[in-house]
Amino acid sequence: MVQTVAWIVSLIFMLLITAVFGFVAFKSKEKRDYEPIKKKWYKARTFYGATLVVVMLIITIYTLRELPYNQPVYGAGNDPTIVDVEAIQFGWKMSETEFKVGEPIEFHVTSTDVTHGFGIYDSELNLIAQTQAMPDYTNKVYITFDKPGTYDVLCLEYCGLAHHLMIGKIVITE
Amino acid sequence: MVTTINKGEFKSRNNLIATYLIIGGLVIAAMMVFGILMLLAQGGVLDLPPAAFYQFLTIHGTGMIGGAALAASAVMWYFLSNYVELSKKVFKLNLILSLIGVVMVIIGVFSFKYASAWTFLYPLPALSGGAWGVTGALLYLVGMLILGVGFLLLYIDTGRAIIKKHGSLGKGLGWDVISGKRAEKDAPSPTVVASTMVTIVNVSALTTGATVLIMNIINVVNPAFTFDPLLAKNLTYAFGHIFANSIIYMGVIAVYEILPRYTNRPWKSNRPFLIAWTMSTAFTLVIYTHHMLMDSVMPKWMLIMGQVLSYANGLPVLVITAYGALMIVYKSGVKWDMASGLIFLSMFGWVVGVVPAIVDATIVVNHVMHNTKWVPGHFHMYMGLGAVVMIFGFIYYLSKVDSSLQTNGLDKVGFISYTLGIISVSVGFLISGALSTPRRWATHFPEWMAPAVFGAIGGVLAVVGLTIFIIHFIRYVKVRGTAGSDLNEQKLA
Repeated sequence: MVQTVAWIVSLIFMLLITAVFGFVAFKSKEKRDYEPIKKKWYKARTFYGATLVVVMLIITIYTLRELPYNQPVYGAGNDPTIVDVEAIQFGWKMSETEFKVGEPIEFHVTSTDVTHGFGIYDSELNLIAQTQAMPDYTNKVYITFDKPGTYDVLCLEYCGLAHHLMIGKIVITE
Repeated sequence: MVTTINKGEFKSRNNLIATYLIIGGLVIAAMMVFGILMLLAQGGVLDLPPAAFYQFLTIHGTGMIGGAALAASAVMWYFLSNYVELSKKVFKLNLILSLIGVVMVIIGVFSFKYASAWTFLYPLPALSGGAWGVTGALLYLVGMLILGVGFLLLYIDTGRAIIKKHGSLGKGLGWDVISGKRAEKDAPSPTVVASTMVTIVNVSALTTGATVLIMNIINVVNPAFTFDPLLAKNLTYAFGHIFANSIIYMGVIAVYEILPRYTNRPWKSNRPFLIAWTMSTAFTLVIYTHHMLMDSVMPKWMLIMGQVLSYANGLPVLVITAYGALMIVYKSGVKWDMASGLIFLSMFGWVVGVVPAIVDATIVVNHVMHNTKWVPGHFHMYMGLGAVVMIFGFIYYLSKVDSSLQTNGLDKVGFISYTLGIISVSVGFLISGALSTPRRWATHFPEWMAPAVFGAIGGVLAVVGLTIFIIHFIRYVKVRGTAGSDLNEQKLA
């Protein structure tokens, strides 16, 4: 799950940074000339900076390979089900709400009043996909459900006092 | 340092600085209380009506950024005025306009139930579903506009003063040094460089903000006037992202000025430093699109740039500023006290907060974490443990050089309490985000409540710490000037 990876990666780097700051604070009581320290650590900085750039480049290339904006390539005879979604203070109007496992679906999401957020949650309340629901525009979510169950659609953009009550349902069957 | 002004001017300047900081500090503390109440409501501990929750949400976001920006601008003004001639009249005018704006915002929110969140995403101010009316919306939006005009005047003045002294804003950023036309030893000081960057980005941000505020105001008065919601969202986030980020770029001036005094090691602008600040200037202006990664109707290249440049924007702080702070402290024999401790902590807070921010700027991650509590998780870290700590580090520094006031054990308790408190708040948010908990929800499902309660407890600790800091500052205000002069500034070194 992406969230778990994000949390673990963040935690590792945050702990690493904590260790570095802790080490420097620990070593701060010693007193040495600044010039040799500068010379040594400026050299190290070149290596550190270059490593950081390379790591960021690798992660960038890796994570940009598949974007949620890209329409999947559908096989012959496997056309997607287009679902028109209209957000309105404070509910969801969906042209269809029942789908099959493995059925490619495109949610075409818009709004008739203010900006809302179309967030799909699985039965364990994990967010699995989202897009913004904005008046005058249609954003798309491409998804194929691989597990049966009841999914919730929660509003993820603050839209007024009943924002947290704006919950829809999607049912996925085998 | 402070050699060009006499003691009377020094005192009068510090009075104004102290007023800015007290207002900023009190606003931040009050906003923290609203934050705790919201977390308690989300945690199921407090029964808060949704209308009240969303009013708190609106005032919390607006007030935190406004209060911190006010205090951080005082930090910038204090140090920048040592290098260029700033207008005290404009500085005062900003304070007056800010106060007028704040009063209007408070009346709009609490008397007229206005609750659009700070984002005031068009057309929500005019379409509240019956929750608030035209008066509340106008009080809030016009109040924000007045606040923005005050800050805009301030940055126009800092820009004027920098241009007068250095010739241009480009030279304020040291472009002539980068290009080799001027020697590194003649480069503008880090304070001038940072102030130039803040001037450039905030004049842009505030003009953008004023544009979208005015369009919203016209729409509220005359709903027949409509405009493009996607354009409005771009303008709102360009304004909000840049202005909020500028707080830390103003606060870091305290780091550049204070750490060298404590370590007896100079922090000078060299070519990599200047390049890093030019990068920060450019990236800060354009990376707001990482707030729009879930608007697939945006041009795809803009969204990809949102990710790529957000990553790149981490480089100046990770490779130059934080690294510089670590180098200057390492084996320096620094004398740790509240000021130096808070300043060092603030750099930690900034860097550690960059991590979840960069993670969230990754499009595939944002797809399942955008508008979850992960987002407040990262910005509470770098604002709460970074920017705000820079401000309070400066406050302790000011009280040290401008009075004979001593710190005591209570201040240390405050340091620990505040640090643990903000870490708990931030970690609570990050865990909530990892659990997919939506942000800006008045109530939570039971599965999502525990981290909110944990965060609320952290919030209480943070408020205790902050209260101790403010008490110290008020004690300083009472005795200020008892030791203040440039001599006292030298005493530290």
